[in-house]
Amino acid sequence: MIQLYNVYKSYNNTPALVDISFIIKKGAFVFVTGPSGAGKSTLLKLLYRWESYDKGQVLVNGINVGKLNFSKLWQLRRHIGVVFQDYKLLPGKTILENVAFALEIVGAEKKTIRYKAWEALKNVGLSHRKDAYPMELSGGEQQRVAIARALVNNPKILLADEPTGNLDPDMASEILHLFEKANADGTTVVFATHSQNVLREGNHAVIALKRGKIADTRIVA
Amino acid sequence: MNILKTTLSNIKSNKQLFFASVGTITTALSILGLFLFVYINLNSVLSFWNDQVQLIVYLDDEISSDEKKQLEKLFSSSSEVDSFRFVSREQAWEKFQLMFSEKSSFLKGMGFNPLPASYNLKIKPLPERLKSIQSLAEKLSQEGGVESVEYGEEWINRFETFMILMRVFLLALGALLCLGAVLIIANTVKLSVLSRKNEIELMLLTGATPGFIKFPFFLEGIFHGILGALISLSLMKGVHLYLVSRFQGSIETFGRGMDFQFIPMSFVMVIMLTSLLMGWLGSYLSLQQFLGAYKKL
Ligand SMILES: Nc1ncnc2c1ncn2[C@@H]1O[C@H](COP(=O)(O)OP(=O)(O)OP(=O)(O)O)[C@@H](O)[C@H]1O
Ligand SMILES: [Mg+2]
Repeated sequence: MIQLYNVYKSYNNTPALVDISFIIKKGAFVFVTGPSGAGKSTLLKLLYRWESYDKGQVLVNGINVGKLNFSKLWQLRRHIGVVFQDYKLLPGKTILENVAFALEIVGAEKKTIRYKAWEALKNVGLSHRKDAYPMELSGGEQQRVAIARALVNNPKILLADEPTGNLDPDMASEILHLFEKANADGTTVVFATHSQNVLREGNHAVIALKRGKIADTRIVA
Repeated sequence: MNILKTTLSNIKSNKQLFFASVGTITTALSILGLFLFVYINLNSVLSFWNDQVQLIVYLDDEISSDEKKQLEKLFSSSSEVDSFRFVSREQAWEKFQLMFSEKSSFLKGMGFNPLPASYNLKIKPLPERLKSIQSLAEKLSQEGGVESVEYGEEWINRFETFMILMRVFLLALGALLCLGAVLIIANTVKLSVLSRKNEIELMLLTGATPGFIKFPFFLEGIFHGILGALISLSLMKGVHLYLVSRFQGSIETFGRGMDFQFIPMSFVMVIMLTSLLMGWLGSYLSLQQFLGAYKKL
């Protein structure tokens, strides 16, 4: 599903990723970990082509990411859902509208949008709050909305950049379970975190980065 | 439907800016339109007088028929002369009386005809017409039996030069104002885009097509342009109607059948189309600039 071959990436001549190669199979759940500044976010950004890379090859769902030009990027990104540490919900919309927005963007059929958005909220246990605004929810609840939004278009790949970074341990493990649920439904998950608790709790493959290089891998079948 | 909502809420959230932008476009187009209006009317005056340009050869009362024949031969052989017409003393007198019928009792009281016979020459509308009229007039005044020669004044020539200058000025002013309007629209749309940065990033992230992202902003820019054009065109129409109601009487003294011309329909279409293009271009520029940061190729 995701293949990297000898990938290099630098920001203004400062290397951020150095000679990264790995393969993530379809349906896998992989943690990306490492200290701050190790390059976790950068690695994820390459996968959905938010950043370009200097050398090597990146294949995502069979798409050669490096060869894609701006006007075709959406074709890659429609296979991918992304969740961030800061949720990135739109404050002016209710949470149902926030989830529906992702459906509108990809031109989903109008009649189905409300129902699909509601169902996605139900899957994260928030359908009863559908008319609430993001500011009226706790951090954990907001993150669940963000997950519902990332999953509502049934992406093949779910990327998460420190989704539990702002949450207490209980909430973190609840969020982790939502990702594992999505993974159980067949979604390939790449989950960046530096939380040892999360890494310990989820018994998954790990790619550990250190100063832009792969320092260690733990592959669990 | 949704896109229209987005556009409208963009405008609502930047109300002051929207009015400033539309107001400036309106002003720019109105200034341009006013000049166009003046130009078109001067032009119609010019072409009216152009048709009137003729050379009148007044004849001595004692002109012989040989001299007359000689003159007519000269007219026919002159390449500038389109046609000529003989007006006898009696015809001139009748026409004169007709034109001043209110004073006819006084005229009748005069008891004799003071008017000379004449030849009215219609001159071909050649580019160097005025010069050829001048030389022709000189030549004719030397001929026997000719009392005097009258022709269109020098100022017609000056007027034509003025119109050419005006055309150049209009084009330059128009280009400048259009450029200004495009920049203003670009700036307004840019602020609109920036205020929706998070939303646009989400769209990019979720896999919206560039067209989907850009469309509401194009609509916004085009809306600014068209609205400005509509307002300024209605202002101009208002001015036109006012002038007609106020001065139609006095303009007719310049020439029968003359009236104030509104900007012709084709120009109205051009103005609308231009404003649409300006709106599109303004949006295009700001979108290009904004989205460029996300391309990083
Ligand atoms: N947009 C950018 N411009 C310049 N340098 C950047 C940019 N983004 C990241 N970097 C640098 O690249 C390196 C890797 O950053 P990255 O954000 O990938 O680390 P990270 O592992 O996600 O860290 P954190 O755990 O703090 O989120 C860092 O040295 C960072 O300073
Ligand atoms: Mg990071």
